[in-house]
Amino acid sequence: MVMYLVLLHGLLAVVLLGGITHQAMSVAWPSRNKSGIVRSFRAVNGSLYTNTNIVLYLATATLGGIIYPVYRVGVRTFLENARLMAATGSFELKEQFVAIGLGMLPLYWLLWNRPPAGSGNAARIAVTLILCAIVWYGFLVGHILANIRGLFGL
Amino acid sequence: MSKEKVFPIFAAAFAVIYVLAVQYNWALFTYHPKINEWEWLAQPAKSGPPMYWYGWLVTSVLGAGAVSLVSWPLTRRGPALLWLGWIVPIVIVVIFVYLFRGFFIR
Repeated sequence: MVMYLVLLHGLLAVVLLGGITHQAMSVAWPSRNKSGIVRSFRAVNGSLYTNTNIVLYLATATLGGIIYPVYRVGVRTFLENARLMAATGSFELKEQFVAIGLGMLPLYWLLWNRPPAGSGNAARIAVTLILCAIVWYGFLVGHILANIRGLFGL
Repeated sequence: MSKEKVFPIFAAAFAVIYVLAVQYNWALFTYHPKINEWEWLAQPAKSGPPMYWYGWLVTSVLGAGAVSLVSWPLTRRGPALLWLGWIVPIVIVVIFVYLFRGFFIR
């Protein structure tokens, strides 16, 4: 059962990664021209991604919270016994960064659905880039830790 | 209540309360995964490692909600402090990297 949940957690993270990266690129490095794959990637309507990204973030974090005890009891103990402190620390940071991202979701929703005048655009770019960085960090750390025995020949 | 004034304060308060909750272990409850037991507030290990993350999250949600409510009358007349909602979380991220440096520097 946990194996299926880990896979689902990873798949949701992949979809979230695509959505938030599309949106971040569209707001931080926009393009009106759709010629070529890079410009097409940047020329999407970012606001369409907001609600889906919020649902995906919450769903991915919730699933992560459900499978977290298995990591805490089994995997982290293994990492500590193998003296892989950087790997343990990377996951500890992921846990804290994801939590900070959760607290930013209401503001993220506001900035995309009811953007205030004035400094609203700068805040929207910043919040979207921060969430994008958190999702990328969480994805990479989760992916490396899930495969750490194979990657490091343990 | 104006969302554009409250949500940045919520994001900033959440990040600040969360880092304090982690540093001083202000978990509203503790989970013992090996024996599948929940307890109020931060409790020491029983059998296997205790988990405080869920408790820190709830502490932060409740704390940030309270701060947002209390600060709302103060911010009602001024402009929305949108910058608070992203600069404070960035600072907290840097603080976390500093707090957890022991994992990476030996």
